[in-house]
Amino acid sequence: MNSVNDRSRDIGPFVPGPDDDMLICRCEEITKGEIRMAVHDGMWTLTEIRRYLRTGMGLCQGQTCSRLVKGIVARELGISPAELEPATSRVPMRPIEMKIFANEAPDEREDG
Amino acid sequence: MKRYDLIIVGAGPSGLSAGIEAAKRGLKVAIFDENEKPGGQLFKQIHKFFGSKEHRAKVRGFVIGQQLLDEADEAGVEVVLNATVIGLYQDKEVVVKRGNEIEHFKGNAIVIATGAAENMVTFPGWTLPGVIGAGAAQTMMNLHGVLPGKKVLMLGSGNVGLVVSFQLEQCGCEVVALVDAAPRVGGYGVHAAKVARTGVPFYLSHTIVKAEGEECVTGVTIAEVDSKFQFIPGTEKHFDVDTICLAVGLSPMSQLLKMAGCKMEDNPKRGGQVPICDEYGRTSLPGVFVAGDVSGIEEASSAMIEGRMAGIAAAEYLGYIEKKDLDTELAALDLALDGLRQGMFAPKNRGKAIEQTEEGIAISQNLLLHGYVADEEIDRFPGVTHRSGVHPVIECTQNIPCNPCQDACKKGCISIGANITSLPIAVEGADCINCGMCVASCSGQAIFLVDEDCGDGTATVTLPYEFLPLPEEGTKGKGLGRDGKVICDAEVVSVKSLKAFDKTSLLTMRVPKEYATKARFFKAV
Amino acid sequence: MSERIKEHPILGVQEKGELVKFTFDGKEIEGYEGEPIAAALKAAGVMVHRYTQKEHKPRGIFCAIGRCTDCVMVVNGEPNVRTCITPLAAGMDVRTQYGVSDQPFDEQ
Repeated sequence: MNSVNDRSRDIGPFVPGPDDDMLICRCEEITKGEIRMAVHDGMWTLTEIRRYLRTGMGLCQGQTCSRLVKGIVARELGISPAELEPATSRVPMRPIEMKIFANEAPDEREDG
Repeated sequence: MKRYDLIIVGAGPSGLSAGIEAAKRGLKVAIFDENEKPGGQLFKQIHKFFGSKEHRAKVRGFVIGQQLLDEADEAGVEVVLNATVIGLYQDKEVVVKRGNEIEHFKGNAIVIATGAAENMVTFPGWTLPGVIGAGAAQTMMNLHGVLPGKKVLMLGSGNVGLVVSFQLEQCGCEVVALVDAAPRVGGYGVHAAKVARTGVPFYLSHTIVKAEGEECVTGVTIAEVDSKFQFIPGTEKHFDVDTICLAVGLSPMSQLLKMAGCKMEDNPKRGGQVPICDEYGRTSLPGVFVAGDVSGIEEASSAMIEGRMAGIAAAEYLGYIEKKDLDTELAALDLALDGLRQGMFAPKNRGKAIEQTEEGIAISQNLLLHGYVADEEIDRFPGVTHRSGVHPVIECTQNIPCNPCQDACKKGCISIGANITSLPIAVEGADCINCGMCVASCSGQAIFLVDEDCGDGTATVTLPYEFLPLPEEGTKGKGLGRDGKVICDAEVVSVKSLKAFDKTSLLTMRVPKEYATKARFFKAV
Repeated sequence: MSERIKEHPILGVQEKGELVKFTFDGKEIEGYEGEPIAAALKAAGVMVHRYTQKEHKPRGIFCAIGRCTDCVMVVNGEPNVRTCITPLAAGMDVRTQYGVSDQPFDEQ
C-alpha cells in the first residue's frame, strides 16, 4: 500500500509559489498554481486531477502536459513521481472526432 | 475483421526490423503507423551513425531508413501509413483509425514499437510561437526544407541537443548558445566538439529564466544555477533569438500497453513508464512484445536489434520456428546489442561521473564543461601523435562503441582492436598516403590530416566540412581553434568532394605552423 | 522572416510538389502542393497560428508532428485542423483560429 492512498496524511497548507502562474496544460490553459491548489482541495491522484481541472482533456489529450502534471502533483504530495499511478489510459489513444469513432468500415473480407 | 499473424504498431527502426525478421520466417505481417511517412525518426537523422559495420556504422540515418523500407518491401511486409492505432485490447485486437473510418484487426501476436515523445520544460514564455521541440526543428529542416528560424538557442546538451544544433548550422541557422542546467555535457564529446569548433558557446549549469516577446519569441534570458538548480543572482545573460529549441529528454509512449493490461513500471533509468519485459521484448501479456524506445530510451542502433529480437520471438511464439533456432538467433543478436551497450554512455553507466577512460587516461574535463578538448589536454590521447609528413590526428577522447576509422585506413594507420569501445590509436611507423578516407569515415568528425611543418613556416590541416557554400581553392579566411575562436589566418588549399566520402567534403587549409595542433575549423571572411 | 532551404549540404535540393496559391486570412500566398500547411506558412514568415480560448494568447508550431495541437487553424471552414501534418492543396482557405472560431474574439 503506498502512502498516497492514506489521505489522512498531512501535506501541510497551500503555500503560494513564485511560478504559480506558469502554464502547464497548454490546451486547457491550466496553471501550476491551479494544479497545486487542486491537490490541497483533496485531489491526490492524477485521474482525479484530470477530472477536476481538465488537465489532459484538451485537444492533445495530455500528450504535452502529463509528465509535468505528474511532477507537480508528486512534489505537492511530498513523494517521488514514480510513486504516482499515471492517469488511466483509455481508448482512443489519440484525439478522434465522434463521427469518425462511430464510422465502422464495412467488413470487406472475412478473416482467412 | 482482417487477421494477421503479426501486427506491429509503429514503422520506425524497431518496428520495421521486427516486421522484416517475422516476414522472412513466413509470417503475414502488417505494420500500422500514424504518420504519412514511415521510418520514425530515422529520416530526420542526416548524420552518420556510430557502432561497427554490423550496426550500419558510417551510414546516414535517412539512408538506413530507406534500406529498412526496401528490406520490408522485399520481405512482403504490409506497411500501412496514416493509420492511427487508437486501441489495443487484451485479446490482441487492434482498432485503427484510417481517414474517416475505424477498422478492427486481429493479430495472433503484437509488437508495440511506438517509440518516445519529447519531454517538456517550463519557463515564462514557453508557449510563445518560436519555442519548439528539437524534433520539430529536425522535421522542419530535414523533412520539409524550411528554416525553423534564423537565430536559435538550444536547451539541452544530450545527443539530441548536440546533433540538432549542428543540423541547424548546416542549413544556415545561427546557434547563439547551447545551454544545459546539468554541470556536464550529456551527449558524446565528439558531437559537442563539432558544434563547439564552429563557434557555438556552451553554457553548462545554466538554464532559461524567460523567453521574451509578445506575439512570438524575440529574445531569451538565461542564468547560472547552483547545485540545487536555483538561479544565482547576477549571472543573467541575454540573447536576441527568434527560436528556442527544447531538447530535454524523451519519454516512452507506452500508453497502448497500459491500456491492454501490460504490467508496467516507472523506471527512471529507462525514461519513465515502461512495460516490464524480458531482454527479448516479451511483456507480461503472452503474444505481446515490445521493441525500441518504448521499452527504454536508447538509440536507433539498439532499437533495430531489439526489433529483430521481437520479430524472431514472435515467430517462435506462433510456432514458425523452433525454440532451439530462437535461442541461437537471439544469442547472436544479444552479442550485437551488448556490443552497443558498452563504454562511457552505456545504459549501465548512466548518471555516473566517469573520470577516466578504460585505458586509464583522464577524460577531458574541458570537453564536459565547455564542449571542446583544451589544447593542453589533447596530447593525452593515443590518437594524437606528432611526426613529419601528413598523418592522421584522431581527436576521439571517450570510450564509445565505434570503429569505422580502423576499417577506413588501408595502410593500417589507425587501430582500435577487437574491443570497439577502445580509443583509436594512431599507429607509429604506418605509412599515411593522405587519401582522406579516415577523415570522411569518422561519424564524429573527429579525425584530421595534419602536416605539421611544410618546410615554409606553414602547416596544412585537412578537416571534414559539411556546410554550404563550399569554399573555393585560394579563399582566404580564418582558422578557428577547438573552442571556435579565431586563432590565425588560413587559406584554402583544396576542397575534395568524392563519392566515397558520402557528402563529407574534405577542406585542406594552410595555417602558420605554430597552429598545426590547434586550428581545427575554417571560416571564410 | 523564415525561408526555405535552397540546397542542403547533405540532402541536396528537396523535391517539392507544384507551386500553388492559397489564402491566409484572406491574403494570397504561395506554397508547394502536398507539403504541410504549416511549412508553407513558416516559409512565408507566419509565426502565430491561433489565439487561445481563455487567455487569448498566441500559439504556433511546437512539436511539428501532429501531437501538441498548438498549430491548429481553421482550414476551409473547419477548425482544429493540425496544420503541421495536413497537406497543402491549391486554393485552401487558411485562417487564424481564435478559440475555436475564425472570428476575432471581440466579434464573437
